[in-house]
Amino acid sequence: MVNHYFIKATDVKLMDNLFYYFLIVAGIIFALVTFYTLFYIFRYGVKKSIETPSQKEGSERVEYVLAVIATLITVVFVYLTIITMDKVQDIPENEEPFLEITGHQWWWEAKYPESNVITANQIYIPTGKKILVKLTSADVIHSWWVPDLGRKLDMIPGMKNYMYMYAESPGEYLGTCSEFCGVQHARMRIRVTAVDPADFEVWQQQQLRPALTSSQALILKGKKLFEEKTCTNCHAINGTAYKENIGPNLTHFASRKRFLADMKVNNEENLRAWLTNPQAVKPGVKMPNFIFSEDEVDALVAYIKNLK
Amino acid sequence: MSLFIDVPEDKEQLPSLKTGRGKLAWIASVDHKQLGIMYLWLALFFFVVGGLEAMLIRAQLAVPNNDLISPELYNQIFTMHGTTMIFLVLMPALIGLATYLIPLMIGANEMAFPRLNAFSFWMTCMGGFLLYFSFFAGGAPDAGWFNYAPLSENNYSSSPGVDYFLVGLILTGIGSIGAGLNFVTTILTLRSPDIKLNMLPLFVWMVFINAFLLLAAFPLLNAGLFMMLIDRQFDAHFFIPSTGGSAILWQHFFWAFGHPEVYILALPAFGIISEVVPVFSRKPIYGYKFVAASSVAIALLSYSVWAHHMFAVGMSNTVNSFFAISSMLIAIPTGLKVINWIGTMHKGRITLSIPMLFAIAFLIDFTFGGLSGVSFAIVPIDWQLTDTYYLVAHFHYVFLGGSLFGIFAGIYYWFPKMSGRILSAKLGKWHFWLFVLGFNLTFFLQHILGILGMPRRIYTYPDLPYWKVLNIFSSIGAVLMFAGMAVFFWNIYKTLKKPRTAPANPWDAWTLEWATPSPPELKNFDEIPRVHSRRPLWDLNNPDNPDKRLN
Repeated sequence: MVNHYFIKATDVKLMDNLFYYFLIVAGIIFALVTFYTLFYIFRYGVKKSIETPSQKEGSERVEYVLAVIATLITVVFVYLTIITMDKVQDIPENEEPFLEITGHQWWWEAKYPESNVITANQIYIPTGKKILVKLTSADVIHSWWVPDLGRKLDMIPGMKNYMYMYAESPGEYLGTCSEFCGVQHARMRIRVTAVDPADFEVWQQQQLRPALTSSQALILKGKKLFEEKTCTNCHAINGTAYKENIGPNLTHFASRKRFLADMKVNNEENLRAWLTNPQAVKPGVKMPNFIFSEDEVDALVAYIKNLK
Repeated sequence: MSLFIDVPEDKEQLPSLKTGRGKLAWIASVDHKQLGIMYLWLALFFFVVGGLEAMLIRAQLAVPNNDLISPELYNQIFTMHGTTMIFLVLMPALIGLATYLIPLMIGANEMAFPRLNAFSFWMTCMGGFLLYFSFFAGGAPDAGWFNYAPLSENNYSSSPGVDYFLVGLILTGIGSIGAGLNFVTTILTLRSPDIKLNMLPLFVWMVFINAFLLLAAFPLLNAGLFMMLIDRQFDAHFFIPSTGGSAILWQHFFWAFGHPEVYILALPAFGIISEVVPVFSRKPIYGYKFVAASSVAIALLSYSVWAHHMFAVGMSNTVNSFFAISSMLIAIPTGLKVINWIGTMHKGRITLSIPMLFAIAFLIDFTFGGLSGVSFAIVPIDWQLTDTYYLVAHFHYVFLGGSLFGIFAGIYYWFPKMSGRILSAKLGKWHFWLFVLGFNLTFFLQHILGILGMPRRIYTYPDLPYWKVLNIFSSIGAVLMFAGMAVFFWNIYKTLKKPRTAPANPWDAWTLEWATPSPPELKNFDEIPRVHSRRPLWDLNNPDNPDKRLN
């Protein structure tokens, strides 16, 4: 077995290794306990044992020896715990996070301080780079957990927490909110997309563009509805006057593959169902049912699908 | 002129079933045996309720994307399941057994404070029913049994459910404090003059230690509960960060109670196992000193481990290290106990009666749960696995495989003493196998689900690889447990209809409660047998080979 404590290994690998070491030791102890329990039942069953067993108490020496062995095992695991912990949670003094994630009931807001990109739910990170993430919450306690990218860390209102994420290869990494946060805790899932640094740059530039405009009648009608029906009281769209950050930023909504914190594929059918009655799609969610007419939904869908 | 007048002592006998006042005794008795049995009925009643809630949870989670239960209702059900099982099932069952047995085992005729004893029971009972009244008053609590702020505050949980949770638990908490006070005083002052502290039966010893835990832990919980009640009712800001409070403060209050609570639910079960294993191995306990002393170590350490519930909160490495070390240390005295129970079986003469079967299941499953618990003390493992189904599996191994199997062993063991009737061994075997196999099926698989990334407290889940099949089998296990419990209730019902034929000492056991008839008279002892060792009835039955004299 390669000893990952002395070579360069990712945090996830270190944590995995620690779990394997634990499994081996715990497995041996459990096997011994089970073996002796069952063996004694068979060996000293009523039929095989003498009428009146000796009434002597056990040996104190055995107890002391076993206590010492248990203490030694504990010392080893205390050591492994502390060195792994120090490596995984090694946050510099003056933190300058690459990514700031804020938990909301029940979606994720992501901000990239260097480029000022703001997005929601669809979170991109570059591969091959250990990135520092700042976590906080806008309402109740949430917890950020993408098992393949790093540790789990709570997002607590009024507190800032920092952790590292690292993706070796491009791909989509699934995770989930891990602290109970209310009605739709179950539907607060995470999908992080890791891409090559070059592709990440392309994505960032694309996200920085202001919202697309169009002169198509239906889209214009949708835009007007979006303003009139108070959507703008919660949703921001860059390049316009609407900057409220209560619900997800929708500037490039159509570029996202999924929406509602990874619950639904971002297509016309799901979008229609959502706008027709959000409470039927995700009960308890903060977006109220606006009771739009069919025509209004058509126009809004056309507008939102144009926000690429 | 006298400054006070003498209040005449009440000459009438206190009401009980056996004084001919019949049903009045069920509400007015202060007899410790009557109250102990009432605690056990209360626990049994709420076990049915909490068990049905668990069945609903497993029905909802059997398949992915299920919409059998609405998320709002699911959150109420899992909150009530946890709260019920901890505060209204395991606590009353263990306190009930102790209330029934402590005076009998130490040669006393009553608890030190009989009226406080009745008060404690009724507070627990009323607290439980008040908690359940929330269903009719606008919705049950829905913020989890841990009730984390600010989710549990008005802004995020506006139904009165959490208020019922707070007031209900404050009441049961007062009941538990009363019980703890009563146990300590009874064991210290009402022992037969022959019995020195180092001669106490281990069950009594564990309850004694446990009573101190009760006395220290529940005031903490009640303080926190009151603060949150003030937050919710009078708009204070203890736990609301947006107005200057601290969400983490609640977690410290809750877990500083919550982790000792785990040992409050474990120690009396350890005590039961320490009675059952020697009797059915026909040998004294392997190392009395070690079993007793390790309980003290556990009790002391249990106050310095609470923040291991909070490793994902983002505490510094220094704080994490402290709580990691203390949490790993507490495994040593616990492990030593397991070794002592197994050592007791060595060169014994083992009878596989139903209490012994549950004790053996306890040994294996509690060890498993204890070991998986250590993985949460290893902080980086906790950073991956906390709040997943691996954790759910872990604490069910501790609370079912540990506490509940201990309680089952205790009920089968002492049922003849309490009722004068022996529970059917045939039905007992069905109960044992259905329940133990179902339990392991349900919860073993949940370890794997947790490692695969399934978080806890979710009303539904996406159809990810293996999640569906593991969850279906987990639910099938729950059905087996349900069937096992049905057999158990049938066994109790059938047995209670039979005549009282149990002898005074059906298991040929050695502690003082077996020196009384089954069931004991209202006055436990007319005369107490002389006690010279930890096993008075052994000495009485084996005058040629008595235990070493300890007094």
